[in-house]
Amino acid sequence: MKNEFITDERIFQELKKAIAETLRVDEDVIRRDSSLVNDLDAESLDFLDINYRLEQVFGIKMARHFVLEHVEEMFGEGSAVNEDGLLTEKAVELLKIRFGDQMPRLEAGMDMDEVPALITIGSLVEGIRDILDALPEKCTHCGAAQWTCEDGLRVKCASCGEYAVYPNGDDLIQEWLKKIQEERSIF
Amino acid sequence: MMRIFQGMDLVSVAGFERVWERHEGFTEDIFSPLERAHCMSRKNPAIHFAGRFAAKEAAIKALGLRAGASGFLSGFGDIEVRGQGGGKPVLHFRGWAARMAARRGIVQKTVSITHSGNYAAATVILLAEPGPRQGREPKRQ
Repeated sequence: MKNEFITDERIFQELKKAIAETLRVDEDVIRRDSSLVNDLDAESLDFLDINYRLEQVFGIKMARHFVLEHVEEMFGEGSAVNEDGLLTEKAVELLKIRFGDQMPRLEAGMDMDEVPALITIGSLVEGIRDILDALPEKCTHCGAAQWTCEDGLRVKCASCGEYAVYPNGDDLIQEWLKKIQEERSIF
Repeated sequence: MMRIFQGMDLVSVAGFERVWERHEGFTEDIFSPLERAHCMSRKNPAIHFAGRFAAKEAAIKALGLRAGASGFLSGFGDIEVRGQGGGKPVLHFRGWAARMAARRGIVQKTVSITHSGNYAAATVILLAEPGPRQGREPKRQ
């Protein structure tokens, strides 16, 4: 169900905070269209730190695997990345659906390891939004259908007081891929 | 002609320790039970974890797998550094890393790890058999 308790602006603010603390930069330099790699010089250990911080703040489990890994797992070898490590047309079609305007420079034949530089703060906000919007209808602990949120970050059951348990990011990507494939038959 | 893919990485041991201390489950996410057992058996585990982290990152670069922020652990769990007890380290790929290595015709892989003071570094060289792959070589850092 749509998570009305946590706004996009709050996600953005928390993301800025996590990035600023990890990279030791001023929050003011972080914009929605900033690239973590190109604009903020984030390294792999920084990516991990930022993701773990966000998991703690929102009580979520971010995707461990890249969407293209899931594509090849579900639709076969070579469906997303060719033997030279370049993105296929189908992979680009899919990524454009997923990231929309967030990755305008995405194109078929692009090297897979150029993709991280295209990932913006805005696309990360949307990734977190997707997980938060998978808030279950009912509490997984007591079955009550009454959520509450006092701090704008962690959703709690109004009946038993336990925190909401969201599906993890990898499961949500797989569900999304099934849906897109049913609707558009890309692969 | 054989093709060569290379990757290297440098890790701050203090930076690694900060992330490790802050996030429970970090080493379980990144390292195999074998790697964890090896590093934890050493006098200063953080140095050895950082060295293995650098080796994984170097292998990820050599394979062109830097998927980064979207799927933030891509590759790390699929690359294992074996060869303990003072022996030469050996890379072992599985999952996504193994599939991409096979697709690129990788037939040989070497890894070298070093650490000094506050830093650990690693280089990885992958040798691929000649084949019909005529595409653009991956951009390396």
